[in-house]
Amino acid sequence: MADVTEHRTRADFLEANSTLAVVRPLNAEPVDDASTDSLEPFVVIDAQGGVHAFNGHVDLGTGIRTALGQIVAEELDVPFERVTLVLGHTGLVPNQGPTIASETIQIAAVPLRNAAAQARHWLVAEAAKRFGLSVDQLTIEDGLIRPRTPDNRALTFGDLIGDARIRLRLADDVALKPVADYRIVGQSQARVDLPAKATGVLVFVHDMRLPGMLHGRVVRPPYAGVDVGPHVGTSLLSVDRSSIAHIPGIVDVVVIGDFVGIIAEREEQAEEAMRALHVEWRPGPRLTDLSDISAALVANPSKPRVIKNDGDVDAAISKAAQRLSRTYVWPYQLHGSIGPSCALASFEAGRLTVWSGTQNPVPMQGDLARLLDLPERCVDVIRMEASGCYGRNGADDVTADAALLSRAVGRTVRVQLARDQEHQWEPKGTGQVMTSDGGLDADGTVIAYDFSTRYPSNFAPTLALLLTGKVDATKPQVVEMGDRTAVGPYEFANHRVTVHDMPPIVRASWFRGVSALPNSFAHESYIDELATMAGVDPVEFRLRYLRDKRGSDLIRATAERANWQPHTRPQMIRDDDGVLHGRGFAYAVYMHSKNSATAAAWSAWVADVAVNPATGDVALSRITVGQDSGLMINPDGVRHQINGNVVQSISRVMKEEVTFNDIAVTTREWGAYPLLTFPELPPIDVLMVPRPEEPPLGVGESASVPSAAAIANAIFDATGVRFTELPFTPERIRKGLRAVGYAEAAAPVSLPASAKVPVRKPFNRWLPVLTSAVAAIGMIGAATLPIRSAIAPILRPDPSVYSEATIERGRLLAKLGACITCHTTEAESPLAGGRAIETPFGRVYTTNITPDVDTGIGSWSFTAFERAMRDGISRDGHHLYPAFPYTSFAKTSEADLQALYAFLMAQPPVAQSNIPSNLSFPFNVRPLMAAWNTLFHRATPFEPSPAKTDLWNKGAYLVEGLGHCSACHSPRNALGAEMDGQAHLAGGVVEGWEAPALTALSNAPVPWTEAAFYDYLRTGFSGEHGAVAGPMAPVVAELKTLPDTDIKAMAHYLASLNPAAATVDTGKLVQEREALAAARALTPVSTDGARLYEGACAVCHEPGRGPTLFGVKPSLVLNSAVHADQPDTLIRVILEGIHVDQLGELGAMPAFSNHLDDHQVADVVRYLRGRFASDRSDWDQLEGRVAVIRRQLSMH
Amino acid sequence: MIEFTVNGQRVRLDLPRKTPLLSVLRNDLELNGPKFGCGLGECGACTILVDGRAARACVLTLNEAEGRSVTTLEGLGSTAMPHPVQDAFIAASGTQCGYCLNGMIMTTVALLTENPSAGEAEIRDALRYNLCRCGAHVEILAAAMHAATALKTTVPC
Repeated sequence: MADVTEHRTRADFLEANSTLAVVRPLNAEPVDDASTDSLEPFVVIDAQGGVHAFNGHVDLGTGIRTALGQIVAEELDVPFERVTLVLGHTGLVPNQGPTIASETIQIAAVPLRNAAAQARHWLVAEAAKRFGLSVDQLTIEDGLIRPRTPDNRALTFGDLIGDARIRLRLADDVALKPVADYRIVGQSQARVDLPAKATGVLVFVHDMRLPGMLHGRVVRPPYAGVDVGPHVGTSLLSVDRSSIAHIPGIVDVVVIGDFVGIIAEREEQAEEAMRALHVEWRPGPRLTDLSDISAALVANPSKPRVIKNDGDVDAAISKAAQRLSRTYVWPYQLHGSIGPSCALASFEAGRLTVWSGTQNPVPMQGDLARLLDLPERCVDVIRMEASGCYGRNGADDVTADAALLSRAVGRTVRVQLARDQEHQWEPKGTGQVMTSDGGLDADGTVIAYDFSTRYPSNFAPTLALLLTGKVDATKPQVVEMGDRTAVGPYEFANHRVTVHDMPPIVRASWFRGVSALPNSFAHESYIDELATMAGVDPVEFRLRYLRDKRGSDLIRATAERANWQPHTRPQMIRDDDGVLHGRGFAYAVYMHSKNSATAAAWSAWVADVAVNPATGDVALSRITVGQDSGLMINPDGVRHQINGNVVQSISRVMKEEVTFNDIAVTTREWGAYPLLTFPELPPIDVLMVPRPEEPPLGVGESASVPSAAAIANAIFDATGVRFTELPFTPERIRKGLRAVGYAEAAAPVSLPASAKVPVRKPFNRWLPVLTSAVAAIGMIGAATLPIRSAIAPILRPDPSVYSEATIERGRLLAKLGACITCHTTEAESPLAGGRAIETPFGRVYTTNITPDVDTGIGSWSFTAFERAMRDGISRDGHHLYPAFPYTSFAKTSEADLQALYAFLMAQPPVAQSNIPSNLSFPFNVRPLMAAWNTLFHRATPFEPSPAKTDLWNKGAYLVEGLGHCSACHSPRNALGAEMDGQAHLAGGVVEGWEAPALTALSNAPVPWTEAAFYDYLRTGFSGEHGAVAGPMAPVVAELKTLPDTDIKAMAHYLASLNPAAATVDTGKLVQEREALAAARALTPVSTDGARLYEGACAVCHEPGRGPTLFGVKPSLVLNSAVHADQPDTLIRVILEGIHVDQLGELGAMPAFSNHLDDHQVADVVRYLRGRFASDRSDWDQLEGRVAVIRRQLSMH
Repeated sequence: MIEFTVNGQRVRLDLPRKTPLLSVLRNDLELNGPKFGCGLGECGACTILVDGRAARACVLTLNEAEGRSVTTLEGLGSTAMPHPVQDAFIAASGTQCGYCLNGMIMTTVALLTENPSAGEAEIRDALRYNLCRCGAHVEILAAAMHAATALKTTVPC
């Protein structure tokens, strides 16, 4: 049952001979005369007996393709495998509207089934003629028609169709096969698409690669997720195309109104350009404050629509013996497709073809025609499989984006949305506010139910239409979609239902359960509370008001399955650990059409929960769910839908909430918007009521609908406290429990305040210049200025005079000195200089040290080279700045300098002129450096200490000489000179990164040991300290080629600057800190930070948890950046990630700068500090610090 | 020129080191298995095996792949001859839309290679950071447990 992805037309199916087609004509003419364009095919049987079935609905990943195939195969009595489904392709399939409201099986499959039955009747009648028998003397089995009394005669469908082209007009009234005869429908059928999906064969829209295809990306405006207001489509000020001029492969930048798109040859080029393109936008208006959804929705202008008004509600309420008024709040939520939307478009000769994951191919066709000013017949929407969407995600938007980009270049363009774009811009499942009013009379009978619901409209015009100004964003369409299941299932004498229709506040579209899920949250919480007020068991109370027998049967069956024990008060069962246990019931029939008129499947839930009153954590211990779906076409498929609805809805109820700032949606990745994880999955017991005699009902949404109320009712049963706003996060539950007197949590585990380590003043590599110091150097300079002469240029030395061994030794020394790291800007021209080094005195550019005679050091004699290395004097006599660490290099032996010189001279020359450095006065006066040297430089070679071992001396020579570790790891004084004594290697700051102390002054939670130094220098990672990042990364990469003996010596020497290993029990320290961090995880200093950490960081950092991934898993318990005095390094790593060239085995860390805002980064950092470095002082003003560092990074 | 192995085939590419591995696998090598989901290593849809260990291709570049052996969903087995883990996921309908399926299968393969005796708790933990939005968790877990059993009982010939 292959998918049809090739481009076939209706004519291919309907014009061909040897076909039997059941069609619906779009106009009155006889089907045999009609043009194929005016015929909608439902079933086409070909000469080989292949059955092609056409449906206007699409498979959103639910397996509906399989179920539709079963229906067709059953009616035709052909093997299931012989049926091929064509779904959603506008050029082929009948227009059956969008795939919404669980209607595919219940509604869209009806004409398909009729068509199959019609075809069967024609075939049997034809066979009867040929056999000379009556139709009831015949039988079909596996696509063969034969007499019931076997006589060796049999006809295939192909035999019967012959060469003819037969067209049958689709009929409404067709005799269908009796359910009792079903052999395929009602039996579980394996999904047809899974073998191809499990092996990478199936082509999702994301996987399409068409010849000559280009890659597109869009740049969205800052008002992310907002589609109402005068600023929508009108905010673009300018696009600076030169900002992406450095990126290769850019084909075009398309700008129309607020629509900005980039087209490139390669996907990563488009991606890079999307992030780099500099676009200026006009500041927009403030977004309604959505931190209080209830207030926002009540204030949003609305029009009441009363859809039910039985009895006299107001009079009845006024007579209530016990009145109950409640408001329930549903948050904005994401559809949250795992695959951000993607589409391809091909615009050619006035015709547009798109390949799209849309759930609405026909409306999409109209939108695209409007967007591109084309007649609809010139637009073809080919529906491809895509990531599951549960409603309308970004699929339509990206399809329109692709259309605009393809039109601009006249080529096929594939557009992929980024994760943050999908999160921010997908039309949300809207927030909703429900009020339930009413009460009981003196007998405990419900006297009235007055329900009203506020549901912002979910129409969400396709984004490109708004951004390009094709649709006016100041006049949002108000649609009537708040009424799904607004009329609850129970019958009350006085019963009013009011739906407040209102425009959207932010982009919204239908999302599984649409308004029914929130409405049922209110209905079912409310009746549960009334039951408690009436002193009646909640299940019994519901049954009193239910007139619907199927519903009552389901409620009883589900309660029985869950072993429901009637009770009239919350049970609040407390176990020995103080955890409270409870169970809740809820029931709903998903009424999915306007005015709550059409029912999908019936559903009932029993939720069992365990509530930790100290932390507010709610664990779901079991979900029992009963469902009456009528006839189940594919029982396994129904079961999977029920499971999927349960899992997705408990995720929504327990965890999910979109957040906003004052202009836009702020949830941009899965840390800020967590989904249910496998460890949180409760046991789910599914009860499917067999009702094969009843029509099949939609099962795509029903089992979601009772979720929120069942869980809320269970939490009430466990705690006696009602929660009326989602999601049920630990902080919300904790707060609610505190409010009614539940005790505080046990005191958070922490070290005593006295154990806090005070923040030391940061050592800065280049401390800010003090005026007096500048004056001082000026005076010394004036008094003692020595004149240095130039050393005569030489002809470029012939490297062949040096032995290979010397050059090789020089190569390793160059690695030790990491020459290439600073002296290279472009990988193609190594050592040619030009890299900017920022100092507080200004910017210094590294110079060309290739042997180019004019621009490099090709004319330098060894003497000139040695003088530069030892004294910081260039060949021409000018002073070098100590950003070039000659103060360390001076310690190098002459033999090693010779080798290094030989190596450099043997390198290919690169002609690249040096860039003048740009320093402020007096540092721009190079001769003053002579004075500096007098003060701070000792140009003496390294002298081994006889009291130390050879290993120590070797290490010291490497570390203090060419290794020049102190250049970054020692603090500098006011004049930029390394401080010595205790301060030597005691930590500095380089290019915004902390270069941690390598001595006993280290901030690291466990002292550095020889083994840790070795690991770090050899591999770039030490389990006790972390992974290499920032400017140290290329250094370790360079050290890779050094022999192990060198690394060991360096580690040995560096370890000698730290407490002796014997005095430190590292294992014990680590254990203590891990225990402390684990305890503090229970009471995070920032719950938002904790959530972000769990979703974004934990997969690679949480010890003892999750998969074993390629690369290292740095534990933050011991991480240097988390324990540093300043947060800068940690912030930087989060913003820009880590990729270390040549050290691929470490893995990599992604940059979060595009997915977390300043506030979120600050939350994560605060959480990390609080959990892993609780003995260190808190970092304050983090958000501002993140903003500063983000600005610095964006300037690079 | 960067060299590595993909599904047993030697690959040489003249691309910058920083080129995202996922786009190389998908666009240059035309492999559908690893999917783009988040670009942040959060969801697992892009999971591949690097030297036998699960890796999130979306955060890696050619730099990390160089010289190593990469296996994608396609490298495990085919529709005709699926790997036992693929087979278990097909048999148990261990997905709905199928977008996260690659990550679920690859992570399960890596887990069962590392720990052939992994039980339900270990599987739940290993899949903790693989996101599924369809809510196919019940079926995915069942599939992974079937796979664990199948691999244990498979006798090498």
